[in-house]
Parts: sequence; C-alpha cells; structure tokens
Amino acid sequence: MSTAAIHADTHHDHHEHKESFISKYVFSMDHKMISKQFLITGIVMGMVGLIMSLIFRLQLAWPDEQFGFLETLLGKWAVDGKLDPNFYMGLVTIHGTIMVFYVLTAGLSGTFSNLLIPLQLGARDMASPFMNMLSYWFFFLSSVTLLSSVFVETGPASGGWTVYPPLSALEKAMPGSGLGMTLWLAAIALFIVSSLLAGINYISTVLNMRTKGMSMNRMPLTIWAFFFTAILGLLSFPVLLGAAIFLIFDRSFGTSFYLSDIYLEGVGALENIGGSPVLYQHLFWFLGHPEVYIILMPALGITSEVISTNARKPIFGYTAMVISLMGISFLSFIVWGHHMFITGMNPFLGSVFMILTLIIAVPSAVKAFNYLTTLWKGNLRFNPAMLFSIGLVSFFISGGLTGIYLGNAALDIQLHDSYFVVAHFHLVMGSAAIFGMFAGIYHWYPKMFGRMMNKTLGYFHFWITFITAYLVFFPMHFMGLAGVPRRYYQFTLVEDFNVWMDVNKLITVAAIVGGGAQLLFLYNFFYNIFKGKKAKQNPWQSNTLEWSTPVERIHGNWPGEIPTVYRGPYEYSRPDREEDFFPQYEPDESAPEVLHTKETKSAPDTKKVEEVEEGSVFFAAIKRVFGLS
Amino acid sequence: MRFDTLRIRPNSFIKKALLMLTTVLTPWILMAAADVVEPPKEFSLANWDWVSILTWVLALLVILVIARAFDIGALTEKITGKSVMSWNNINAWIAIIFIVLSLAGVFWELKYHGQYVLLGDSSSLHGETYDSMFYWTFGFTFFVFVVTEFLLFYFMFRYRYNENRKALYYFHNNKLEVIWTIVPTIVLTFLVLRGFTTWSKITGEVSKDTQDIEVFAYQFGWKARYAGDDQQLGNQNFNFISGTNPLGVAEDSKVEELIGDLKKEVAQLEALQASAEDSTKAWKARHDRFVSTGLHITYPEDYKSLKAKYTDAVSGAYERTLEKDIKRKKTALNRISEYRKDKDFFNGAGDDDKVTTEIVLVKNKPYNFKFRARDVIHSAYMPHFRVQMNCVPGMPTSFAFTPTMTTAEARQTKGNKEFDYYLYCNKICGAAHYNMKIKVTVVDSEAEYNTWLASQAPLVTPAIAEESQKEEKDSKTEMGEMETAMLTNNPTLN
Ligand code: HEM
Ligand SMILES: [Cu+2]
Ligand SMILES: [Cu+2]
Repeated sequence: MSTAAIHADTHHDHHEHKESFISKYVFSMDHKMISKQFLITGIVMGMVGLIMSLIFRLQLAWPDEQFGFLETLLGKWAVDGKLDPNFYMGLVTIHGTIMVFYVLTAGLSGTFSNLLIPLQLGARDMASPFMNMLSYWFFFLSSVTLLSSVFVETGPASGGWTVYPPLSALEKAMPGSGLGMTLWLAAIALFIVSSLLAGINYISTVLNMRTKGMSMNRMPLTIWAFFFTAILGLLSFPVLLGAAIFLIFDRSFGTSFYLSDIYLEGVGALENIGGSPVLYQHLFWFLGHPEVYIILMPALGITSEVISTNARKPIFGYTAMVISLMGISFLSFIVWGHHMFITGMNPFLGSVFMILTLIIAVPSAVKAFNYLTTLWKGNLRFNPAMLFSIGLVSFFISGGLTGIYLGNAALDIQLHDSYFVVAHFHLVMGSAAIFGMFAGIYHWYPKMFGRMMNKTLGYFHFWITFITAYLVFFPMHFMGLAGVPRRYYQFTLVEDFNVWMDVNKLITVAAIVGGGAQLLFLYNFFYNIFKGKKAKQNPWQSNTLEWSTPVERIHGNWPGEIPTVYRGPYEYSRPDREEDFFPQYEPDESAPEVLHTKETKSAPDTKKVEEVEEGSVFFAAIKRVFGLS
Repeated sequence: MRFDTLRIRPNSFIKKALLMLTTVLTPWILMAAADVVEPPKEFSLANWDWVSILTWVLALLVILVIARAFDIGALTEKITGKSVMSWNNINAWIAIIFIVLSLAGVFWELKYHGQYVLLGDSSSLHGETYDSMFYWTFGFTFFVFVVTEFLLFYFMFRYRYNENRKALYYFHNNKLEVIWTIVPTIVLTFLVLRGFTTWSKITGEVSKDTQDIEVFAYQFGWKARYAGDDQQLGNQNFNFISGTNPLGVAEDSKVEELIGDLKKEVAQLEALQASAEDSTKAWKARHDRFVSTGLHITYPEDYKSLKAKYTDAVSGAYERTLEKDIKRKKTALNRISEYRKDKDFFNGAGDDDKVTTEIVLVKNKPYNFKFRARDVIHSAYMPHFRVQMNCVPGMPTSFAFTPTMTTAEARQTKGNKEFDYYLYCNKICGAAHYNMKIKVTVVDSEAEYNTWLASQAPLVTPAIAEESQKEEKDSKTEMGEMETAMLTNNPTLN
C-alpha cells in the first residue's frame, strides 16, 4: 500500500517523551486528544440539551397531564408533575444555548478542526499546542458554569438563548434574570475566550504549517471550511463579548446601555434613561448571524469530504465550493438585520438587509447544486457517514428554502418569532449541523480511536434520526404559517391553536423516538472505543493525508518525515488508474508533480473531464491579495 | 451482470421514466385514496387511528425492504458465495421509499393543513398584497424543494455502489455552474423587488385621515388608549405611571396624586433609614434569641426567612436597598416636577382619553397603532391582519393598517360562532408570556364603534374624578401595599 513507504522511513525525528496520565488524558497538548476531549464534552452537553428538549416537549404535547417522574426529577420546578412556566423558559433557554454554542460550535468545530487541521495539512500539531489546551479548558469551565446555573434557586437564565434585555437585565422582571443570568453571562464570556484561543490557532496553523506540496488550492474542503469558520469566529465573537459586558454593566453597575423608560411592577419607575434595547440586538446578531454559519460551515466541509470519498467521485466544482464558502462568510457579516425587521428599525434599513440577505441565498444554492452533481453518476458507498452527509444535504435544502421567506422583510412581518422560524433554523442549522457532526464522527472514528463503529447500528441510527427529525420539524412550518408563536409554555389558552394539539403530540412522540435512537449511537460510540474491530490503515480508501498516519496515535502524527502532497484531495475514479482513488501523498511514478489536469488530457475520457485552471488563477489572485504563501 | 435482473437498468429509458412517473404520481394516488377513506371536510388527525396506520405503513416498509434484501441477498450469495444481507441495496431502497412517502406526506399535509396556512384570507388591506407575495414565494420554493429533494434520493438509489462500475471523473462544468448561479439570482431579484415594494408600502407614509390608537404592553397584558372627544391622545411618560394611571398619561390630578404618594414614600423610607441601626440590632437580637432557644430547629421555615432578613440587615444590604429606593424615588420626583413646569406638555389633551381592555376597530378605516412597552420588550402580533411590531421600552414604534373583515364576517367564513380576533404577545417576556393577549373586534359601522367608545370611561371626568379619589383613599394602591409590607417587616416598628 501507499503508506508503506512512509512507515518504512526509518529516521525518527519524532521525539519520544513519557506521558503521564495527566499529560496524556487531562492536560493534553496533543491536538488529537484535545479533539476527543471536545467531542466527548460536546456529546455530554448534547445529551443534556436533548433531554431538556424532551421535557419541554412533554409540556407542549400534554399541557394538562401530570407527570409524576418530573416532580421526582425537578422538585419544585414541577410541583404535582406539572412543569413551572418559569422553568419551561429556563429549559428552552439553556437548551438553545447548549445546542448552539456548546454542541454545534465547540463540539463540532472544536472536535474536527483540532483533529483534521494538522492531520489533513501535514503538521505535527497546532501552531500553539498550549493555547489549544487552554482553549479546551476554558470551554470545560464554561460548560460547568452553564450547567451549574440550572441548580440555582431562582432558576437558570430564562429569556431565550438570545437573552434580550431589558428582560435579561432586570432581576425583578423574571426569576431567571437573577443569579442564573449572571452565570449565563460568565459562561458565555469563558466560552468566547475559548473560541478565540482556538480560532487564532486554527488560522495560524492553516496559513503556516502546511506540508510540502499542500498549496491552498490542494487543501481539502474541510480545511477551507474550518479556516473560514475560524475567521468568522475571530471577527464576530468579540462583538458578543462587548454586548455581554455592557449587559453585565447594566445589571450590576447601574449603567443604561440597553435600558430606558422602564416601570417595573412592584418597584416603580427606574432611573435609567437614554439606553436602547435594540442596540443589544444589533450587537447580538452581529455575532448571531455569522454564528449560524460558524455552526454550519464545518458541517458542510465535512460533508464535502465524506460525500466525495463515498461517492468515489471528485467533489463537483471545488473552486465554486470555496468561492461560495468565501461569499457566505463575507455576506454573513452584513445581513444581521434580518433578525430585526420588526424591532422598529428604520424601514429603509430593513430594505437594505432584505436585499443583502437574499443575495446570500445564491452561494447557498450553488453549494446544494454542487452536492447533487457530485452524487450524480457517482458510485455511492452507503457508509453511515455517507448517509448522514446526504441527510445534511436534504436538511440544508429544506431549511434553506424557508430562509427565502424569512429574508423577505415583508413576509417576515407574519413569520417572525413564529414556529416557522423554529422549523427553519432547526432544519437548516440544527439538524443539518448535527448530521454533519455525526458524519464526521462515523467517518473519522477509526482515526480517533483506531477502531471501527458498527455499521448496522449506524444505519438504524441514521434512518430513525432522519425520519423523526423531519417528523418533528416539518409540521412546525404549518403551525408557524398559522400564526402559532414560539416560546409559548402552553397552547391551550388560545382557541385558534387548539387545532394543533394532535400535531404537537405527534412532534413530541417523534422527538422521543428520535431521542431514543441516540442511545444506539451512544452505545455504538462508547462500546467500540474499547471493543470495536481494529481499524485498517485507510478504511474508507480516502485520498487525504490523515489516513497516512499510523492507526495507533502517536505524538507528532507521523513517525518519520511528513509526507509530501502531490495533488488535490479529490482524485477519485481517475480513468487512467486501476484503483478508484489516488491519495494525495502517493507519488505518481509515471509523471510526478503534474497536476491531474494535464494528465487527464491524454486520458481516454477527455471530453467529459474538465479542467480547473481557472481555479488555480483564482487562488493565485487570492494569495497575492492576502499575502499568503 | 449480477444485479441486472433486479435493478432498473440505467440505459432503459422507459423504465426510468416509469419510475419517475410513479414517484410523482404516488402522492396523488395516496391522497385520492385518503379522500375515499376519510372525506376531507371536518378532518381531524384525532379521528384517525394513528397507531394502526403507522403500524401498517411500517409493516409494509419492513416487508418490502426485507423481501428485497433477501431477494438480492440470495442472488448475491449464489453468485459470490458471501454476504447475505446487502445494506447497499437496503439503504438505496429505503431512500427511494422514503422520498416517495415523504413527498406524499408533504402533499397530504398541504392538503389538510393548507386550510390553516395564513389562517385563511387576510383581514387587512395590505394583507392581500402580502398573501399574493407569499404564494409566489411558496410556488417557487416548493417547486425547487420537490425537484431537488427528489433528485437527491433518486441519485442515492440510482447510483448505489456497484463493484463493476466506476464513478464519472467529473470536476466541474462552468456553463452549468453559471446557469445555476444566474437562475436563482434572477428569481431572487424578482422576489426582492416585490418584497421591496410591498415592504415600502406597508411601512410607508401614513395617510392624514388615519386614527391613532396607543397600544400599551406590560407584564402580562395589553391596554389600548383611544382619544376622547378632542380627537387627540394626551402626552405620557413612564414616570407618571401609577395604580390609577396605568399608562402614565400627563393628567394633572393623577400626577399630583402620584407626587404626593412618592413624597410620602420617600419620607417613610428616610425614617426607616434613620432607624436602620436600631433595626439591625433588633434583627440580631431576634435572630440570636431564636437560635439560642432552639426554635430554628422546630420552625425551619420561619427561621429561613428570619435568617434572610438578619443577613440583609447585618451585611448592610438592607440599608443599601433603602438608599437606592430613596434615590430612585427622588429622581422620579425631580423628573416629574420638571415635566410639570411644561404647560404644553400638560395640555389637558389626555384628560378625556379612554384606556380600554379591548381594541375595537371599524372596517375599512385606516389605523395607526402606536406601541409602548412598560417593562420589557413585547411584540404585538395579529396574524389575521398580517401585523406584527415589537413594543420596546424607551422606543416608540408603530404599525399602520386597515382592517377589511369584521369579526362577524370572519365568524361566518370560518364557520365558528365563537371566533374572535386577538392580538398576542410574540416576544418572550416572562412566565405568563403564553397568555398575554387582548381581544380585537372589527365592527361594521362607525355607529357601533361610537356606542362602544361612549361606554368606556375617560381617564377623568370632573364628576367622577372626586369620587375615584375618595375610593382610592380606602383601597391600598400597589405602592401602598409595598410600604405596608416593608413596615411590617421592620422589627423596631412592630
Ligand atoms: C438561504 C439562506 C438563509 C436565509 C435567507 C435565512 C434567513 C433567515 C432570517 C431572515 C431569519 C430571521 C427570521 C426571524 O426571526 O423572523 C433567520 C433565522 C434564523 N436562521 Fe436563517 N437563513 C438562511 C440560512 C440559514 C442557515 C444556513 C442557518 C444556519 C446554519 C440559519 C440559521 C438561522 C437561525 C438559527 C435563525 C433563528 C434565530 C432566532 O431567532 O433564534 N439560517 N434566517
Ligand atoms: Cu441570520
Ligand atoms: Cu410576551
């Protein structure tokens, strides 16, 4: 096999050092271990978030039922087995926060950026392993802080994951705005520190530590996605930190950034004047919109890689994929106002944001079409990772299309804050990104743990999760279109909403089944860490560099010299080759150092094979602009 | 060659076409079947025996899949001598069954839930434009949805793994990519332009004959304010809000009354402050007595509240709170007296304003809702009218619209005699957010409206003003209650 050459390489410049338990598993500076730490913390947080959602779904489906076990579980928050409205809000808030930040930002990006950036680029580790370790531990502290807020006497933060002031600023406005909110802010501040440390690291590693031959236009799309994600995070998270700090000041030091003209029941008129609650929303969504792409882009990157590998076919339109990632990244900074069409913002601003928002639909559409074309005339291997990737594409299409309604300021009048929005973002962001994450886990599990997951369980996991996710989120479109507002504790008090009770029950049942299916995954994941079948060197017959490292993890990744890269990552099913893949690190005896484009000219199938020369020109231009090597 | 007997051959155009046709037609056939089983009128999911339907569907699926798998498995086994179950084919088949059934489900849902989409015809003038744009967007996105989702799963089925085939080595196709960049761009441009004109029209200038109504949101409810005979809404300020003046209208007697109350409260608080040291001592003594006699074990609940007061007193939190309250009330007093100096502000326009707990509108008359929020952000959501606007403390917002369908008419079209329009809160605002609504009634004639308005009490009428003042002396205001609570809490005073 191709990797034999690398293993045979005898001169070990790799340094052996003794690893204690602490330095190997706890305060590890090895990117592969840190990636596992992120993953397992993310999975734990994900389970907490999932269970929370099942509890509040019970409330929505059977508002008049008493669930004894809830009282056992939650005590005073579910007296007589009936969920307390304040705690309902708290659950919704913490569920959203956990899923958005802890699972889909840190859990997804933290896991796969850490694992793949060095491995796919041919680096021994991250640019700064120490910062990398700090990044995990800040994340860990942040998770603990957030979870601890659930046990506070007045309850966790309860103003929704967006925590709009004045609700979140005034302790007297709702119980959750007391200590729970303070802890929420502390957790988010720690989280931001973690993600900035990580982002700087990712960017510098991508720019500086690629192996010989790994020019930027030979980078796998995963890396491109992580790279843009890190840039987005680096530019937008500090703004959220600013917003949070202002909020802390308003809460504790009597300032009025967000507060004005407020009279509180039982207190009287407050002194604050001159602040603006809408200012917070601008700051929040300046992060918030890029954030949704921070979540989605790594999942898209993973999907590109997994689909190409398992379709045994080059990803269609590599250059277009990169350009659309770039376009999405850029545009995502100037569309935040679409979350604020009806806040009373100047209508002209609304028009501007509407136009910019609908422009972002174009690169999104391009990505979807490119995935479809990649599948077309492929030779699809249905590994669980592949199924989850296809699931992502399906969610991305279904959820992305509703963005076209919401991006339209006029249509948003009716749809804002309704269940339609809930359906939109759970499909396009929630489900899609989670599926990307699952795809990544199934695909790189052999690389992480040196063992294989069980495929059959994976298939059951996929189909049950996929079908139930649609059952949960698809009907929500119709509820939203019928004017059902989100974040309602109960729907029975409004006549009009009673027709949806059946649907609410269906959704809850589907959610419980879908939640149950995750047990298959958990079993499959944890059991096989210890008992799984030993992985082969390159189990998916993939082209990328990470599959040239030894199955057993070693510090420094490659025992000998880091391999050189000879071509792009998506050379699958080349007509001039016997095998249907051609690893990036495998020298071509007949014509080394020649791009596939030149060779394919002489290949038999010339007419159908296109060239990527324009792509190369494009990258040369970018490199010049950004001064990249 | 192995699977050729079973697989639909790529080059067999007719079979391909047949498959496509079946996929597209199946939903319709299923729907027709559903119509026979259950006539669509008065349809309710509850009437369906869900368990058995789901069981049937699942059973069917399982049987199909298993049958298929064994078929293929057996054949594979015969030829290659390995692997009985072929997940490759199972997954491919589930994919195609999934997309057919889900598209059927989507059509089904459109048919049965379609009647609730946008709650039927709009009840406002701009709503008609809204609805037409909505359906354009729907048509376009639904088409793309069906085609792309179908292709996705069809490809999954069609291009499932086959050892004997090699994937097409195909990197890109500029022409294709340009097409699918340009076409969405054109469609989106069309949608943006329509959106832009609709949005501008909805949010544009308000015509002269529009009537203003103030809609006031608070935790947890709504109030409306109509102008009295002077056709003019009085000024307002959050500092003027009191038990008898919930919207804080600039009206002399109410505001004077508030000033009086505030001054009294400040005096009381200052008295408490003066005796704070004694009070701390008293709490300490009481606490120690409680503990030394062992009462804290017998009465843990009482002890808990005592301990809280004691800690507050000892840590100085009690005094700090007093200080803050005094400062806040003094600030309010200062601000109010500044306003009092401005005779244009207290112009008497608010005296005859009517604060109501229902909103009544006349059909085909333009209104401009002016929103205020007392405490946190709320959102006024009237889905039947395609109206929504946030209510933001400290930032006035508004939404102008013209109702076009009376409540009576809506009752008739919906076939529901109990039906009423409501304005809901649609921005998370606290525990009772889910039940924060106000009835909106659209009447046919100005006369009906006038009768209703006449029945609503104005903020002050000279005759009633005195009476209400007397009443107030008896009943405790909110503030009064708070003070009483504070006083009884003070150990030195009881
Ligand atoms: C076709 C592209 C898209 C467009 C035009 C679009 C548009 C919108 C708009 C206008 C809203 C605000 C709706 C409202 O609150 O009334 C929204 C909400 C949201 N979108 Fe999208 N979107 C698109 C794609 C995405 C993607 C790809 C993601 C995530 C990966 C995403 C995640 C979200 C989230 C999380 C919210 C809800 C935030 C909240 O209110 O809690 N959207 N989208
Ligand atoms: Cu957004
Ligand atoms: Cu509310």
